[in-house]
Amino acid sequence: MRHNLFIVLFAFLTAGCAVPEAGTSYNPPALPHPGRLFPAEARITQRAVLTVHGRQFTLNGYVAKSEARGLRLIVTENFGGVLADVLVKPGGKVLVLKTGPPFRPAWVEKFIAADLKAIFDDHAKTDGSLRMLSDTHFVIERSGYELDLRTVEVNPGPQPAELFETDRAGNL
Amino acid sequence: MKKTLGTFNIQGYGNAATLGVRCWMLVVGCVGLCYFPFATFAAADELQPVADSQPILQDLQHKMSSLGSVYFELTQERHLKLFTDPLKSEGVMLIERPDRIRWETTAPYQSILLGDKKSVAQFEFVDGKWAKLKLGFPQMLQRVMDQMSLMNQGKLDALTADYAISVATNRSVAVVTLVPKDENVRGTLSSLEVKLQPDFSATREVVMHEPNGDFTRIIFNREKREVKFPPGTFDQAKPLVIGTVRASVNDAP
Repeated sequence: MRHNLFIVLFAFLTAGCAVPEAGTSYNPPALPHPGRLFPAEARITQRAVLTVHGRQFTLNGYVAKSEARGLRLIVTENFGGVLADVLVKPGGKVLVLKTGPPFRPAWVEKFIAADLKAIFDDHAKTDGSLRMLSDTHFVIERSGYELDLRTVEVNPGPQPAELFETDRAGNL
Repeated sequence: MKKTLGTFNIQGYGNAATLGVRCWMLVVGCVGLCYFPFATFAAADELQPVADSQPILQDLQHKMSSLGSVYFELTQERHLKLFTDPLKSEGVMLIERPDRIRWETTAPYQSILLGDKKSVAQFEFVDGKWAKLKLGFPQMLQRVMDQMSLMNQGKLDALTADYAISVATNRSVAVVTLVPKDENVRGTLSSLEVKLQPDFSATREVVMHEPNGDFTRIIFNREKREVKFPPGTFDQAKPLVIGTVRASVNDAP
């Protein structure tokens, strides 16, 4: 959070140094959305360190990305157990398909889906919680937790359609 | 003390991980099943069940207790029906008596889990360097490490108490199958198969079956027994890099 405030402060200060000429409009260059770092169709593997109350937990995330069909994320713990399974339709609708302790459906819908969209959904609105440290390293900071994410594998190619079908997707 | 963040139950993480960890604990325990050969051969290629597996397990319990150390290189494949290809990772597992374990994932990411009877530690390789984590549930991992250690000392009571164990063999493979006795555990793990050389001299793979048809296969690409690991291999403050450990293992007679 402190880092985000610093960025805002820095933006204000530097804006003062580059005053546009009178009569011209100034449009700041849009930052590239991290979603554009990934192929339109791909399966992406991410390794995450979740920090809550100073305690750290490691997680694996497997994301199936389809421009036309949406996003599917499966989160597992170290030993392969599935902790969360969520589908985000192209319009942004979130479907929580499976959760396991400690994740509860409301938490998955509110936070995990939001984090997923923040990184992979080109059309998602940014809320300032995401920092992109490199093309493969992201940090999401929200009230109560920090998620340090690294992309470790990208497998381009179309993903199975049934991954994104609402009536069949829940069969994990 | 139970701490919650909104609807996120931290304590629940430990409970959830226990089921997955239990599978791994079984794997660690079961790779011990390969330590000593048996003269149990089936006559045909069809798997023939061994009528009474208890003598085999008792023999194992007796003989495993003398093994000093073991080094495994392995590939893990997570087969989810949803994905066409398995999710693969590679790693090593090192065990040294009486109680030291190092489990390291080497690809597609790098992570080290270390444990002994006193403590556990986890490291993640981030931005070119190893970072020690402030573990959320060291006591839970500690408990698991303790059980792994006991099983590798040949104390198989934990296995026989919680799992129905059967053995079947043919000319090319021996299969030890463990089925959880507890219905709740079967909700997560239907069965676990340990596939061995037919003379039980080496483990080939372990397969963990889940009720929904998903499964995890761990393929043992290489193993070396009675290895003298270099100092620092199990250091929980600054573990020796795996490349150095490997070189030492490779150089060992």
